[in-house]
Amino acid sequence: MTTVDTNHDHAHGGHHDEGSYLTPRGGFWSTIWAWASTVDHKKIGVMYLFAVLFMFFLGGMAAIAVRLELYEPVRQAMDATGATTITGQLFAPAGAESIDTGNQIYNRLFTLHGAIMVFMFIVPSIPASLGNFFLPLMLGAKDVAFPRVNLLSWYIYVTGSIFGVASIILGGVDTGWTFYTPYSTTTDADHWRVFFMVLAAFVLGFSSILTGLNFVVTTHKLRAPGMGWFDMPLFIWAIYATSIIQVLATPVIGITLLLLLFERLFHIGIFDPSLGGDPVLFQHFFWFYSHPVVYVMILPGMGIISELLAVHARKHIFGYRAIAFSSLGIAAVSFLVWGHHMFTAMGELSSTLFSALTFLVAIPTAIKVFNWIATLYKGSIALNTPMLYALSFLFLFSIGGLTGFPLATLSTDLHLHDSYFVVAHFHYVMMGGTVIAMVGGLHHWWPKMFGKMYNETWGIIGCLLVFVGFNVTFFTQFFLGTQGMPRRYASYVDEFHTLHMISTYGSWIILLGFLVHLFNFIHSLVAGPKAPPNPWGGLTMEWETESPPIEHNFHHEMLVKHGPYDFESVVPPHCDEAEFPLPPPQEGAGH
Amino acid sequence: MTTPPTPPAGADQIVSDAAAPAANAAAQAAPAGPPIRPYLEDQGGIHGLFFRNEGHTDAIIATDAMYMLIFWFSAFFFVLLMFLMVYWTIKYRRRPGVAPPRSTAHNTLLEVFWTVVPSSAMLVMFFLGFWGYMDKLVPAGNAMELNVKAWKWDWGVTYPDGTQSGQLVTLGGRSDIKLHALPEDTEIKLRMSSNDVIHSFWIPDYRVKMDVFPNRYTGYGFRTPALGPEDDHAEGRYRDHWVFCAEYCGDLHSEMAAIIRVMPQEDYLQWVKDQGSTGDPIIDGKNVFKRKCATCHSDDGSNNIGPTWLNNFGTERQFIDGTSAIGDENYVRESILNPGARIRAGFDNQMTSFQGLITDEEIENVIAYMKSISEAAGGGADDAAGDGDDAPADDAPPADIDAAGEHG
Repeated sequence: MTTVDTNHDHAHGGHHDEGSYLTPRGGFWSTIWAWASTVDHKKIGVMYLFAVLFMFFLGGMAAIAVRLELYEPVRQAMDATGATTITGQLFAPAGAESIDTGNQIYNRLFTLHGAIMVFMFIVPSIPASLGNFFLPLMLGAKDVAFPRVNLLSWYIYVTGSIFGVASIILGGVDTGWTFYTPYSTTTDADHWRVFFMVLAAFVLGFSSILTGLNFVVTTHKLRAPGMGWFDMPLFIWAIYATSIIQVLATPVIGITLLLLLFERLFHIGIFDPSLGGDPVLFQHFFWFYSHPVVYVMILPGMGIISELLAVHARKHIFGYRAIAFSSLGIAAVSFLVWGHHMFTAMGELSSTLFSALTFLVAIPTAIKVFNWIATLYKGSIALNTPMLYALSFLFLFSIGGLTGFPLATLSTDLHLHDSYFVVAHFHYVMMGGTVIAMVGGLHHWWPKMFGKMYNETWGIIGCLLVFVGFNVTFFTQFFLGTQGMPRRYASYVDEFHTLHMISTYGSWIILLGFLVHLFNFIHSLVAGPKAPPNPWGGLTMEWETESPPIEHNFHHEMLVKHGPYDFESVVPPHCDEAEFPLPPPQEGAGH
Repeated sequence: MTTPPTPPAGADQIVSDAAAPAANAAAQAAPAGPPIRPYLEDQGGIHGLFFRNEGHTDAIIATDAMYMLIFWFSAFFFVLLMFLMVYWTIKYRRRPGVAPPRSTAHNTLLEVFWTVVPSSAMLVMFFLGFWGYMDKLVPAGNAMELNVKAWKWDWGVTYPDGTQSGQLVTLGGRSDIKLHALPEDTEIKLRMSSNDVIHSFWIPDYRVKMDVFPNRYTGYGFRTPALGPEDDHAEGRYRDHWVFCAEYCGDLHSEMAAIIRVMPQEDYLQWVKDQGSTGDPIIDGKNVFKRKCATCHSDDGSNNIGPTWLNNFGTERQFIDGTSAIGDENYVRESILNPGARIRAGFDNQMTSFQGLITDEEIENVIAYMKSISEAAGGGADDAAGDGDDAPADDAPPADIDAAGEHG
């Protein structure tokens, strides 16, 4: 946390002739080409942002459809003549004789939702969009270490997504996003759709690996002079830990999916017992990747929350090293707990070991939450959209984390495994954690990325709608789970009807909230007031350049002048001390 | 779906929907009726909100107690954290022009404290959870062993004497729920395996599930409740428990539900007796149909996952490879044991092989029943004809994978 004094000349401001990275150069087609062939991490970040938000939209529509189908149970009843009538099936063709068609559509929809949200949205979401944009800026670098590889990874992502969308257009797959064998190697055997979807996940993995590799090298090599490891913003620590997991775990899923395709296409017995394989082996391979990847999804969200809380509470983050090391700790332990997805599929000994290891993950996570809440103490807390999202995160993620306990505990997991309790739990972590953090981060960095302010009132309204809708949708699902509702059901018995109805209402409120945000962002781009370089009084380096940043990020080489959270001693760049006053000097003040 | 328009006389005498008259009548009167937990009043309180009813064995009660312990532990810390968050957010809200007070950003003692306290709590949870887990999984030594077979998309239960369950009832808005009876106050042990993909046998009321794999046995044990006056219904004393498939297995995953009906010992014995052979191949064949085939096939003319059996036998059918054939005894046999060999046009290759799930005698009974509801085969006039030539028993030995036996 040293302060190295150096020149920083802000007089250039927006008047500098360099122009921002968004400034078009040349005509329409040359601008398109300039974007398509760019190696600028900011443009790639923005392209990723739009790509993942489009996938979020697709996956979200599938979720809305899934909830609509579950609004009513599918009922079969016989009338006096013995004819069967079916009611409550939303997607079945009129006059269907049986419930099969509707179930097939539902199964494709929930697979679509899961596969898109996991592989195409949430894994790349924060690292590839906000991470790409802000990692070099926060490090004071001009770009990532390998800018061309960065562009390549975007194209690989798009290629993988095209395979995924192709599989949907061909009719969709019904394997679930987990591709469990032997179902995935035997279902739908005459078609190429499963092949395409698996190939999509395989290809997307390479994008993930390349992005991770790029970020690891960037963090090691391109920190601004004077920036030690413990001078880095916590968002960087989180992205760094994420990238390590991506590089180490993703090859495993690549190999696994390849084996799956070999079995499907050439009938080599690896997982299918009828060919001499072992279906549980697939689950081990799959979760060896997919559990660490849960932390690829949540760690960047945790990084964003650290930034949002510190900046909008104007308070040095509490327990900086504890938070930084807990990120690495989570990354390390994440490789040892995959078996907790398989408590009902493994023997007693392995279940016991994995249960014990799983509890280990809770510790660094709990440490983070305690430190975040302690950060609020004696702060100066602005209740704007990013801060409300950070507080929502603390609320929702705490529920998500605490409901992990009954799932890690063996006796209760035998009941809750593969029930709606699990669905609620991981939505509280993934959506209540990652998505909430991402939307909060998007509001926080929106002025920097696009140079326009958004409307705060509508931002807050959208945040409250999402928060309320989320809880209505998913809190009910805890009760569904404990009462006996299994997941991945196209229909259910009558006693679950009321809770499912409430959950569906909630999904509409969430949708409304996101629509408010969408229109708020569009309005901001079209008619929003120009953003100052540092609207929130942030101390990390992205706030020292203009909004939006110039093409080469900074006018001068950056030197570290202060720590990222020294709000008590530094007037933020481009800011007025009247707006962001410093406390009077005090003896014995720790940092 | 389960009652053909023109059933042969007497075909319904054993396995009939009338075997559960009250449930059936209730369903016909009000198929969209109130939530069905006929055996227990919903219990109040927070435990009731989560689980609706109390467990009847120590293992179940211990599981619920474990859950509630975690719940109250979590609720306490959640409320504490959220209180601090909201209180500080309000107390330290930003005031224009006012600098925040100085405060420390690090406290090693505090960090150690909030690392050690949750760690010890987790240690407690782990051990309690482990003990509860072993209690639920390990069956009693004297347990009655049931052989559970799973296939897409139904459960088959074989009782120790070789009887198979097959009664269909209407419950919870479903008209084709398979009922498996169990005697009250008895230790039960499940030995489960699957004939195709992975399934999972979940009895929510017993708070336990285990995955069911092909080529492997899994299982668990439990004790059925002792029944009391609270379990009295118009048609006798019993208690129902749902069984759900909890591992995604395809199109009819969500329909793979069953009912475990716990009965007094004498009712149970009578029920098992009722499931046995009647000596009439057509009736036995219809019973096999209900037990093993009715999930995907109908006998009333509607095509589901598979083709209907009404007027099926003896007619010509097209296959997806362009060939065609008459559906004779050998074709039926092949379709049951090796269903992927020839796929009828308009249908997917979805059916599991019933090799090991069905005996030769049952196949012959099925053929007899199919003939009885097919005009091309004489519509039931001469149901047993031709069995001797057309279903030779030498190309596939009787399935004896299950030591418990399947004697129809």
